[in-house]
Amino acid sequence: MRLGSYEVKLEKKVRVTGWEATTISLLAILIGLALVGLIFLQAKVNPLTGYKAIFSYAFVNKFGLPLTINRSIFILLCTCAFILPMKAGLWNIGMAGQLYGGALAAFGVALACGAKAGQTPTLAPGLIILLMMLGALVGGAVIGSIPGFLKGRFNTNEIVVTMMLNSIGYWLIAFMIKEGGPFMGGGGEGEGFKLSQSMFPPMVLGGAFTIPLALALAALLYFLFAKTTLGYQIKAFGLSPSAARYAGISPENVPLLVFVLGGLIAGLAGYHYFAAVPGVYKIPLNYGDFGDLSFYGIICGLISQGNPLAAIPFALLFGGLTNGGRFVQGQLKLGYGIDYALLGVLMITLVAFQFFYRNTIVWKKMEREP
Amino acid sequence: MPIQSVKRGDTVLEARGITKRFPGVVANDHIDFEIRAGEIHAILGENGAGKTTLMKILFGLLQPDEGEIFVHGQKVTFRSPLDAIHLGIGMVHQNRKLIPAHTVIENIILGHPKAGSIPDLKRTRGEIAELCDRYGFKIDLKAKVWQLSEGEKQAVEILKTLYRGARILILDEPTSALAPPETQKLLASIRIMTGDDLALVPFITHKLPIVLAISDRVTVLRRGKVTARLRTPEATENSLAKEMVGREVIFRLEHVDVEQGKTILEVEDLSAQNDKGQLALKGVSFSVHEGEIFGIAGVSGNGQQVLAEVLAGLRKAIAGRVLIDGINITRSGSMERWKNGMGYIPSDRIHVGSIGAHSLVENVLMNYYFDGGFSSWGIVDARKTRKLTEGLIAEYDIATPGPDTTAKSLSGGNLQKLILARVLSRNPRLIIANLPTQGLDVGATEFVQNKLLEAKRQHAAILLISEDLDEVLSLSDRVAPIYEGEFMGIIPVKDARIEDIGAMMAGLKHKVAEP
Amino acid sequence: MWEFAARSLNASTVFTIAALGELIGQRSGILNVGVEGVMLFGATLGFIVAKTTGSYLLGCLAAIAIGGLIAALHGFFSITLGGDQVVNGMGIWILGFGLTAYIGYPYTGPLGMERIPDLAGLSPFFFVGVALVVLTWWMFSKTTLGLRIRSAGENPSVTEVSGINVTRTRYLSVIASGMLMGLAGAIYSLNYNPVWSINFLLGWGFIALALVFFSMWNPFILLAGSILFGTLWQLSLNPQLVLPGVLSRYIWRTVPFIITIAVLVLMSTKWFSSRWGAAKPEALGLPREEE
Repeated sequence: MRLGSYEVKLEKKVRVTGWEATTISLLAILIGLALVGLIFLQAKVNPLTGYKAIFSYAFVNKFGLPLTINRSIFILLCTCAFILPMKAGLWNIGMAGQLYGGALAAFGVALACGAKAGQTPTLAPGLIILLMMLGALVGGAVIGSIPGFLKGRFNTNEIVVTMMLNSIGYWLIAFMIKEGGPFMGGGGEGEGFKLSQSMFPPMVLGGAFTIPLALALAALLYFLFAKTTLGYQIKAFGLSPSAARYAGISPENVPLLVFVLGGLIAGLAGYHYFAAVPGVYKIPLNYGDFGDLSFYGIICGLISQGNPLAAIPFALLFGGLTNGGRFVQGQLKLGYGIDYALLGVLMITLVAFQFFYRNTIVWKKMEREP
Repeated sequence: MPIQSVKRGDTVLEARGITKRFPGVVANDHIDFEIRAGEIHAILGENGAGKTTLMKILFGLLQPDEGEIFVHGQKVTFRSPLDAIHLGIGMVHQNRKLIPAHTVIENIILGHPKAGSIPDLKRTRGEIAELCDRYGFKIDLKAKVWQLSEGEKQAVEILKTLYRGARILILDEPTSALAPPETQKLLASIRIMTGDDLALVPFITHKLPIVLAISDRVTVLRRGKVTARLRTPEATENSLAKEMVGREVIFRLEHVDVEQGKTILEVEDLSAQNDKGQLALKGVSFSVHEGEIFGIAGVSGNGQQVLAEVLAGLRKAIAGRVLIDGINITRSGSMERWKNGMGYIPSDRIHVGSIGAHSLVENVLMNYYFDGGFSSWGIVDARKTRKLTEGLIAEYDIATPGPDTTAKSLSGGNLQKLILARVLSRNPRLIIANLPTQGLDVGATEFVQNKLLEAKRQHAAILLISEDLDEVLSLSDRVAPIYEGEFMGIIPVKDARIEDIGAMMAGLKHKVAEP
Repeated sequence: MWEFAARSLNASTVFTIAALGELIGQRSGILNVGVEGVMLFGATLGFIVAKTTGSYLLGCLAAIAIGGLIAALHGFFSITLGGDQVVNGMGIWILGFGLTAYIGYPYTGPLGMERIPDLAGLSPFFFVGVALVVLTWWMFSKTTLGLRIRSAGENPSVTEVSGINVTRTRYLSVIASGMLMGLAGAIYSLNYNPVWSINFLLGWGFIALALVFFSMWNPFILLAGSILFGTLWQLSLNPQLVLPGVLSRYIWRTVPFIITIAVLVLMSTKWFSSRWGAAKPEALGLPREEE
């Protein structure tokens, strides 16, 4: 293609450096935000004022910041849950179902141990908290094992299976917390029961203990893929299942493993928001919103190119955007669901930018025609 | 589409000064070339001599940098194969350009300008049947292409070009995938076609006997230039080979004699199915000893690949046993075999033998990640693996900027060297080499063959699968021709005659096996 | 009982048309896992246009148009840019999911228009669906266009060398597929369940995707599968017809999703998978390799 006296060509990239990838990712976000800014304009709101309001509530406001952090950790955990199978070349879009499974297991443990508000617990509170968390991990892992097992053994499409489980999980929770289900909360408002005060997990530095836990998990995941033989096997399988098979890596075990681990992490996300974040301590009426929020894990995973440490700042950004967006939309008369619009536009922008991870535009000055 | 009335011997296509350059190499260097009606004009040359490039230019798949093409005396430029097809040029590719899932008729009419919105299948079938009768092709027109034999598939491709009105046929390596009886059928059809004043240009590399048998003229290419133009009756196998390679060709490597030891690989009554669920391996039995190279010779598609995959642990057998040094590994997976001293060099170096996006170090890890010497507590010893890789790069003379470059940046020969290096460095007791020199140029081929001989001197047991009969015979101690999943015999190479082996490969002879 | 059957068939129509769209796209080699997203656009825009103009026809036309447009976007990413088709499909889905939640929110609630006249509860769209199935079958088996599309999906390089513009053929298929998906979405929001709420398609797009795999790219099997699923869905909403009083209605809502998973597992059995492998367009989802 010719532009003036230059020839413009598309060339496949051989390898993407970290810096290049970061630049592309940041560019994608900026363009995504700019496009959503168009939506602001359509609602007769100045995009700059809009974003300023969003960011200031999300990161500067003393009520908004902790909320942002809690959301960001939730997103970070969902991202890790997405990244693990992604490295194996598999799509885990079932974080919602897995976190629902985790929540169900955690609160099941709570119910069994008498941890409901107004009851006396049958075990030491610390032990119950630990068991609840473990329950969440197991619950998420069990849900995750389904697509993993089916993929490894039968090569069933994991996208459809995980999506189905999202819906199944949604209705299972509805069953448990509504209309006389075992988890029903006191007021009959269609939400789960509240944990008794002694079950509130410990705080670390003024925040839920799951916050440092999640950060440590991200670091652990990074280490797994950078240094360990297990991480190597997963990556090899993701890049070339036939070559991995040749090298002795089991094509049945890898999918199961990555989905079990992914589900486990997503289960923790459920525990985090419903049982560890101050002010919640129950499965709320709008639990479906958190299922929807889990899809930010997909965007975050893609934009950080599968690097769990790089995902941390992006998760923080997305946590802030969604939090601020929700808070500010009423105030600025933006229309409900601006955080959903953000989700959609950011995702498609990212997808479009995938092209630049693989290709460069090469400018060459044309040689003079003889 | 101008149909000229053409007499036998008229020049129908002339290429003058065709030059094509790629970064770093001149693929075609001022080539002059002429095709005449009713004539079979063979083009001979090694891999990399420029045949493929020239052929792509003649068919419109590539544009030449310099030079001109004249069809029936008129200068033409091909912007795409469609232009070539309009002028009556058809090409039958080496890698079948057919759609296996579709029927013969659907393949033939695909893209045909006369097909209209709703094809009149009855009339088409009649027209194609006529062509079949005329040229001696016997094909079930309603069959799906995947059901056909290689020879029949090729006939379909020829029919496709003829149905589009081709009068000039370019055949790329037409006999390489055929068993001898199918080759004879093809040659018979070609003779009829030349009788009809069609012009044919077959490109054949090492099937020199066929060039001599069928063509009227031969043009030899070497390194992009024409080195000889001969009338076939005046050429001999040796003179042609000399022109191709530029030196006296030694058709046999020096045979290496090593004292053979115990049995390392033992295969009993092994049977397995291919991907389509058909029985592809039918009760094969043999053994390979230390210091021996056991060669399996056969035309592609006779079960060799299935055998290799079963032995390497990549495919389950449905009956039989496999033992490595006495240990029954029939039921165990690939990892067990690596740990028991097997080394497998796969035929597909890109999709199976390596991971393109990974660095050379990471590729070496493929056969080392489970090795306790290179990892501890599940953590990879990065420094040691890197050192190993650097050592292998030096020892095997792999052309690459460094161990961190990606595998996909390596050329075919260098990639094969890397895989060989990785597998052989583990000092396996059993080496399974599956098509180890396929697609490599002469230099790389020699390198690989010598490395295998070196391993033989170190008393490894080697199973060699190759589609190049000369290679099998020059490297192996014993050879087993395979045909439709069965061994037609196991013959010591010293006693073997190449004609007999060739016949067995085609299923024509059966010799009692002497293990 | 008849009412139940009619509702089932109405539900199945949405599955049929959406899955038919995906089938056409897949036959040309393009995989779109974001069927749900395209359907959401069609459903939401169709709903909005119908509500504001009072015209069902305009609503359907708008849905068809937006469906084609969104699918063309997917085509652009997958064909021209040559990106990973699964990633692109995910993008389309989330774009649909996110953007329609925002755009549609002000219209939450019932459509409030007079219902399209039907035959004793059976929507006229059902017959449209059946007609489309027959048309699609005829196109693929009898016409040159069908042969071209199928060839593009089996082996694009052979098809190109035979003189067919694969890029154009694929774009055509993808846009047609999007138009059908958009229409299916509109049928859902205008006819089957004319009440808007966030994410009101409830995963139907993914079920349609599963249906395409299940049908082995045969339009008639697809129709049968859709009818089965439509029935299952209605059943899950009205369990009292089969097993009154047994299990909470919420548990029943999970049944169609469980059955979908079961069907997928069934598809991996020997009997199914060898036929499936043979029927699958070989180049499905694969990027065009350079010669």
